[in-house]
Amino acid sequence: MTAALIAEGLHTYYGKSHILHGVSLEAGEGQVTALLGRNGAGKTTTLRSLMGLTAPREGRVTIFGTATTGWPPFRVAALGVGYVPEGRKIFPNLSVEENLMVPLERPGPWTIASIYDLFPRLAERRFNRGRQLSGGEQEMLSIGRALLLNPKLLILDEPSQGLAPLIVREVFRIVAKMRAEGISVLLVEQNVRMSLEVADHAYVLDDGHVVYSGPADELAADEARVQSLAGASAEEWTPQS
Amino acid sequence: MTQLILFNVFNGLIVGAFYALMALGLSLILNLSGVINFAHGGFLAIGGYIAFTLMPFIGFWGGLIVAPVLTAILGIVVERFLIRRLYGRDPLYSLLLTFGLAFIFEDGTRFIWGAQSLPFQVPGWLVTPLSTDYFFLTGYRLFMVLVVASAVIGLFVILGYTRLGIRIRAGTLDLETVSVLGVNVRVLRSMNFGLGVYLAGLAGVLAVGQLGLQPTIGSSLIMPSFVAIIVGGLGSLPGTLLGGLLIGVASGLTTVFFPSASEAVIYVMMAVVLLVRPRGLLGEEGRF
Repeated sequence: MTAALIAEGLHTYYGKSHILHGVSLEAGEGQVTALLGRNGAGKTTTLRSLMGLTAPREGRVTIFGTATTGWPPFRVAALGVGYVPEGRKIFPNLSVEENLMVPLERPGPWTIASIYDLFPRLAERRFNRGRQLSGGEQEMLSIGRALLLNPKLLILDEPSQGLAPLIVREVFRIVAKMRAEGISVLLVEQNVRMSLEVADHAYVLDDGHVVYSGPADELAADEARVQSLAGASAEEWTPQS
Repeated sequence: MTQLILFNVFNGLIVGAFYALMALGLSLILNLSGVINFAHGGFLAIGGYIAFTLMPFIGFWGGLIVAPVLTAILGIVVERFLIRRLYGRDPLYSLLLTFGLAFIFEDGTRFIWGAQSLPFQVPGWLVTPLSTDYFFLTGYRLFMVLVVASAVIGLFVILGYTRLGIRIRAGTLDLETVSVLGVNVRVLRSMNFGLGVYLAGLAGVLAVGQLGLQPTIGSSLIMPSFVAIIVGGLGSLPGTLLGGLLIGVASGLTTVFFPSASEAVIYVMMAVVLLVRPRGLLGEEGRF
């Protein structure tokens, strides 16, 4: 297995508070890697460190074989890394169509038209402003926006947060679809059971340390561990049908 | 009397159009980069002086086209090597920097072109009054209004329909997310700064045609432009446009009835707006 992304020994601070204590992880090429853990464990900070949004004070990040430590976010993204931030971060003052015109135009199969094919709801709302969209529509827009970069690696930060169960299912369907198309995915989620279902490999983060790393199905079989992870989450998890 | 009022309203409209053009550039820079560009008036003066210097070679029309572009290039150089270093710091730093630049520009123009005011020739057919009753309606004044209007329309077309403009609007609210989407935000800020300074340069060429060249021409226009932004509402470009025109006309009208208050009236307007509607006429709540 080659790795799309390798992080080694990341130490990241917000001001004086030390958030990540030597986080190391790999996202396998063509695989879905889940990063799990309770609120405040450092999951979002890990993703921000990988993207260059909050530069780690120590440690190394390598993406597609290129050392990207210390790079600004736009250079990391331009390598082919799509990022769906926590809280979706739709531009509220822009229309749906305008939101889709912001990303860098990296050549590839995804165009605004093909995003509308993937999410017909967005096509219906193309002239609505970002702030007028429902949570689910905003999530689709945020994913669509990241796909327009034609990423080889897609990083999602809690895409199911605050969404209705039906839409959560849709989000995970898309994650599986991306994997099928050969895009590597790094997924941060509170929805432990559904994440483990789509993921190949899983990491568990606690208090800025990686406390578990292993195949996703192995973690899924460890009922006690899943229970404690899912129980600690602030989100409701959706039972499997 | 009607004629006098019309004269002053029209005067005010022209002055207001200048304020608006200046203020739009200031707003662009403030909204995306959080920089209060006190050097904006200096760029205006430089635009005028460049046009004056180039006129013997390329004429008035050439100057009108080339001088604002050269001014914008100068702006991009200043942004790249000076202002960029201060992004992300307390806005006070960039304020002090641009305040200093304003002095440098003013004394620089004085040093190069002299302190005395210089005549600026606009084409003769543009200066003749269009009507004897309305003597103030010279072709040049109508022409200025027309150029300002097209520049404003052009600006709104860029912001509304091009990727550059859409990214500028997106970055105004959330530059971090624009960056994460692969857009080189350093270049975006440079282009945006250049766009703002272009408007100042254009205002400069038009202004010297009306007022003649003097090194202080920029500093007399900068304070009212800030007032225009505050009256119109921080963060709103349509508001800035409205603010500029409003204070221009208000100041023109006051000249009819109470000439000595014509300069103070815009500050009174600003105070009233801040008391009644602190976010400005079209400003979004909680923007700053």
